[in-house]
Amino acid sequence: MPPPPPPPPPAEAVASMLSPGARPRDSKINRDLLSVLEAPSLLYFGLLGLAILGVVQAVATLAYQTYVGLGIAGYQLPIFWGVYIVTFVFWVGIAHAGTLISAILYLFRAQWRNAINRGAEAMTVFAVLTAALFPLIHIGRIWKFYFLIPYPNQRGLWVNFKSPLLWDVFAVNTYMTISIVFFYVGLIPDLAIARDRATGWRKLLYGALSLGWQGTSRQWKAHNRTVLHLSGLATPLVLSVHSVVSWDFAVSIVPGWHATIFAPYFVAGAIFSGFAMVLTVMIPVRRIFGLEAYITDYHFENMSRFILLTSLIVGYAYASEYFIAWYSGVEAERTAFFLRAFGPYAISTWIMIICNAVLPQLLWIKRLRTNVPFLFVLAFTINIGMWFERYVIIIGSLSREYIPDTWGLYVPSPAELSILVGSFCWFSMFFLIFLKIFPVVAIAEVKELAIHEKAHGGAH
Amino acid sequence: MSELDRRDFLKLVGVGAGAAAAAGCSDPVEKLIPYVVQPEEITPGIPVVYASTCRECAAGCGLHVKTREARPIKLEGNPDHPVNAGTLCARGQAGLGRTYHPDRYAGPMERQGDQLVATSWDQGIAKLAEKVRANPGGVYVLGGDVGPTANALVDGWLESVGAGGRVIYDPLAPEALREAAQGLYGEALLPRFDLSSADLVIDFGSDFLETGPSPTEHARQWAQARDLARGQGGARLVYVGPRQSMTASNADEWIPAKAGSEGLVALAVARAAWEAGGRGADLAPYLADASVEDLATTAGVDAATLRSLGRAVSAAERALALPPGAALASRRAVASAAATLLVNEAAGSLGTAVTLEPEAPGRARASHREVLRLVEAMKSGKVSVLIVHDANPLYSLSETTGFGEALGQVDFVVATASLRDETSERAHLVLPDHTPLESWGDAEPRPGVRSLLQPTVRPLQDTRALVDTLHDTGRAVGASVPAGSFRTQLESAWGADLRQDLARGGRFGPTPASRPALSGAALKVAEPALEGEGELTLLAFPHPLLYDGTGAALPWLQEIPDPVTKVAWQSWAEISNATAERLGVEAGDVVRVATGAGALELPALPRGGIRDDVVAIPLGQGHTVGHFASLAGDGQPGEARGVNVIGVLPSVTDERGGRAWLTSRASVSKTGRFQRLPIVQATDNKRQRMLGEVVPLAALSGDEGHGADHASGHGGGHAALPLPYANEHAPIAVYDPEDDSVDDSPYRWGMAIDLDKCTGCSACVAACHMENNIPVVGEEGTLRARQMSWIRISRYLGEGTVDFIGSEGQSRRPRPENEQLGGTDVRHSPMLCQQCGAAPCESVCPVLATYHNPEGLNGMVYNRCVGTRYCANNCPYKVRRFNYFDYSRENWPGLLGLMANPDVTVRQQGVMEKCTFCVQRIEAARQPAKDAGRPIGDGEVVTACQQACPSQAIAFGNLKEDSSAVSRISDDDKRGYHALHVLNTRPAITYLAKVKRGSVEG
Repeated sequence: MPPPPPPPPPAEAVASMLSPGARPRDSKINRDLLSVLEAPSLLYFGLLGLAILGVVQAVATLAYQTYVGLGIAGYQLPIFWGVYIVTFVFWVGIAHAGTLISAILYLFRAQWRNAINRGAEAMTVFAVLTAALFPLIHIGRIWKFYFLIPYPNQRGLWVNFKSPLLWDVFAVNTYMTISIVFFYVGLIPDLAIARDRATGWRKLLYGALSLGWQGTSRQWKAHNRTVLHLSGLATPLVLSVHSVVSWDFAVSIVPGWHATIFAPYFVAGAIFSGFAMVLTVMIPVRRIFGLEAYITDYHFENMSRFILLTSLIVGYAYASEYFIAWYSGVEAERTAFFLRAFGPYAISTWIMIICNAVLPQLLWIKRLRTNVPFLFVLAFTINIGMWFERYVIIIGSLSREYIPDTWGLYVPSPAELSILVGSFCWFSMFFLIFLKIFPVVAIAEVKELAIHEKAHGGAH
Repeated sequence: MSELDRRDFLKLVGVGAGAAAAAGCSDPVEKLIPYVVQPEEITPGIPVVYASTCRECAAGCGLHVKTREARPIKLEGNPDHPVNAGTLCARGQAGLGRTYHPDRYAGPMERQGDQLVATSWDQGIAKLAEKVRANPGGVYVLGGDVGPTANALVDGWLESVGAGGRVIYDPLAPEALREAAQGLYGEALLPRFDLSSADLVIDFGSDFLETGPSPTEHARQWAQARDLARGQGGARLVYVGPRQSMTASNADEWIPAKAGSEGLVALAVARAAWEAGGRGADLAPYLADASVEDLATTAGVDAATLRSLGRAVSAAERALALPPGAALASRRAVASAAATLLVNEAAGSLGTAVTLEPEAPGRARASHREVLRLVEAMKSGKVSVLIVHDANPLYSLSETTGFGEALGQVDFVVATASLRDETSERAHLVLPDHTPLESWGDAEPRPGVRSLLQPTVRPLQDTRALVDTLHDTGRAVGASVPAGSFRTQLESAWGADLRQDLARGGRFGPTPASRPALSGAALKVAEPALEGEGELTLLAFPHPLLYDGTGAALPWLQEIPDPVTKVAWQSWAEISNATAERLGVEAGDVVRVATGAGALELPALPRGGIRDDVVAIPLGQGHTVGHFASLAGDGQPGEARGVNVIGVLPSVTDERGGRAWLTSRASVSKTGRFQRLPIVQATDNKRQRMLGEVVPLAALSGDEGHGADHASGHGGGHAALPLPYANEHAPIAVYDPEDDSVDDSPYRWGMAIDLDKCTGCSACVAACHMENNIPVVGEEGTLRARQMSWIRISRYLGEGTVDFIGSEGQSRRPRPENEQLGGTDVRHSPMLCQQCGAAPCESVCPVLATYHNPEGLNGMVYNRCVGTRYCANNCPYKVRRFNYFDYSRENWPGLLGLMANPDVTVRQQGVMEKCTFCVQRIEAARQPAKDAGRPIGDGEVVTACQQACPSQAIAFGNLKEDSSAVSRISDDDKRGYHALHVLNTRPAITYLAKVKRGSVEG
């Protein structure tokens, strides 16, 4: 079997896919990419309606929960954290891919990112917006949430900076701010293009949001500089946010949580799940809006390489956790991990291992890496697997703690599932609205690629 | 008309609008109304304490009723009282709730058709008087002992109106023991057992620590007898019985004899002791024919064990045998009880550990025979008016006696229950009595000890004392009854010193005892002849908390799990693991238990600690009336909670007409249904973790070398540990309490819990509920493991196994796992907030709602808590409780909220709560100390759990003061340890390991 040809350098590869023959001109790129914003179909309204319905039912559940108390969730001694925190960590993880693609890959000049970065950034913003709700949904007295914020007050009350939960408040809020700014700065040139072609309320909206963008070289220079600096700022955040979230667990003394590996383990898991979510979202978007010329199989293949890499890291972390539990000689740790794999939550654990560490190994095969339907299915299973990873870590560990006579079992309640479903609807609702209001592929950056290609035209 | 100018008008308008706006947007104003005339003895905020007497069982413990602003909020033991000496059991603690209970009758009720409707006292009395006048000879009074003065007055009333008679009814009265003493000694005597000086106790199933004749008193005496400082490390306990009860779980040796064969075992032991050189009386007439081997074979136990026990009895300085309790009272109950008295004779304990006392003159003697006669009279229509007081015979009399049917034959049934029950709901007229806390009265637990009841609150409902009801009726029919109210009659009966007596709680004199010689005939001890078919013996045993069912109305007693099986709010059928396997049932599978008298369906609970030939069902549940007792509070009025096993017990009497409980065989079959049992404890396997530790007696016996082995690592400071783990982690074992409170604070509050004294009785749990306004969560909440209790008693069996493939990690159906027939290594280990010096919960709270206070307490600011629950996750001891719902509003129906302790915040939905060492009591002690300019002294702060503990297993105080009791006890370097000490949380609670004394060798 002849060895597969080495992949072409990224910029050329994209350019070659954008070519050959009739290389699209600026106007065509504009037309193609802005066509996504055209009047929505009935299907779109149907999907949006479903998403809004899902949000409404979750809000109703939340209102009821606030009124009667968290007893309608499945909490019981000794499991005081449940699906809400699982879902919080899940969405924070999802939120990682966007910034990774926008910031880190930008700094590394991985130009293939240009076609997918807008979608990934939007996903990041909406995932953070979703995640940020969960700590509030989760707390016992949601109406006192402002106690978590260090604000000067006459009573001299202050917050506890030793608590990882407070670190969370800051980490998530910082990340949310940066990702929104990043998303918006990248949008400005595209909004200007959209403004120039739009009429009616859209013109007004884009006009206001594009901040008077004219595309002058001076503006471009400022823009590029801003993006560069923001990338520099955002890069450590990609690593820090999920590290901080992981410390919610690692700083505690719960057997199964108290592990030094948690920060890198969680960051790798977050990137892993983030890329999987980008695939889950972008594959249908590309298909529905016919963006095959811009978001190509090559992009998907590159993302699946990331998935493969992070899957290996995550798989290593799983193995390492078990090894350390055994090697530590601490009976409580050993018991917790043994029961994780063979106790009441064994099914969740095996879903996690198979979806996250085993199935992604198929990506070693190039045929599968470039098989879009396969990637979609795989990304979907990874999303499931990553949700269960957090479920196993949180609930599996809490259910088998130091005092055996309080061991217990947690089963998610209908209320928690309602809010879990609502969180997906909330995310989808934002994404669907985004699709019709903002260009899903960064027009300016795709053009940049095209120009880049033109400059080196015919070299290869 | 020019007074009101424009400016003033505008001002007024402004004020009015402002006031209207302010009123419109704020909560309704609740006013704290001060006393118009300040009552002399009440200072708001300072409790007033009244001495009274507990009426929850016949033991007659003295109470100190703590009232705040004229409202009883807590019951504690009366330290001057000879019965309980200041402690109080769980049932006594919970009794407070009766006064505020939602089941109380608001006033007199009259039957109209199917319903009881409110009426007035005048009408009620008139109606009763009319019935009494019509046929005085048909008037009967049925009920419990109401104390000497009231007993005499009731008897006097019966005479003056010419009534038919009075029958005293107490389902669990020790009738057999009294008859046994009568038979052996020819006199009406009641043996009383003093465990405090015993060095060997053999309990033939009396379960003296939970449902015996005087549990609080006996638990205290047992703790004294058990004291390690006494010779040979304290007394030994041998338990004889078919099932590992709570008392059995405290034994050094458990001989699982066949149910009902305790008399045979006792006879064998007496014989063996006599052979080995018994002391005291000549036992030949009783023991000459007894063969240890034959008796042992019949009882299903090993003869060598009994011989060895007999030798131990004879060798012991002061051995003591306790007679079988009600559960084991069979047709042969009197002979069995007599046989246990012979063991005492053989041990030479009569006159010392066992005293024979004349029955207290004022005490009414319950007689089952009389009850059965009354039932016959009712059936034959001789009874026209039946007045039922202080008893619920419709519930607690077996259906085979026909009481329910007989009640229908009675023309006019009058109930004086203050709380509605099955019997009162069948009555034609309800003339409710006060609750004990609202009543005058007295009690005579034993001759020479007369205890007073006094009202501590004005009756909350329109009620009247039983004696006053009867006297008013007597006056209405023109009979000559004493003048005045019951109160004045009681005052005149007690005489001039009543004021001092009230302050003290009663008159406590010595009890006269006699020492008659054995004079009775030889005993006819035999196996119990059981009714019915079936392969198993049905053992109906009194519930340690609900007792005979009188506790079922009290939610705290329902909520506190049974100390042995840890089941709450439900009935269960205990079967052995072998039986369960044979039937193919697991914990929670509903089984059908059928006897000749009927059948029950209830969830099974397989366990190792029960004989294969027994199915055991606790008494107490199966009520159809009551907010908590039945399912009425859960929205299913009329539905029973659990099952009432009395319903399937054939009515059988013993040799002398007493009530027998061990009467029937039963067949058990699987129904195929499943009903999850609300079991509070997931497993009894402690997986060798440092919880509920045990040390062998040999390790304590002044063996210097042993201490030195371990001294290296922990420098002899607090809680050095010659226990598993100690050596492995020696460098972190040093614990200096100075580290855990701020330097300039004179206090570091700490506790020491002696597991060698803890019996598992759960009095501390009840006390904590009552003191700290802890809500109950009901059966549903318990099933979902949402119990709120701040203190729980974990029960571990042995060291446990770290068996990964074992079932306990997988089990979705908790049940006792490591029990063995005849096994004794049971560790009852109270678990409450350890007030860690390095508390894992404190560092993770984002809002500092839980924090370390300067005196080392792990404080909890309920108002600051937002409910992230991180603290509860990070608490290794799992002692934090979360308010899943608004329990304080939902679970205190009716007036129950009035019993809340005003010193303790009632927690809102969504906040975390936990034990804070009764910080309100620390503050209460601080004020007087501060006024006097001195530090809080040792013993001035007594936590609620410590106060209640009948065996005084808990010590509390200042660890920074070297001379304090808690410091001295915590310094025990042989037994002291910290729970989960590997985590280095530096708890303020030092546990003293239980001592393993080994089985009794003769």
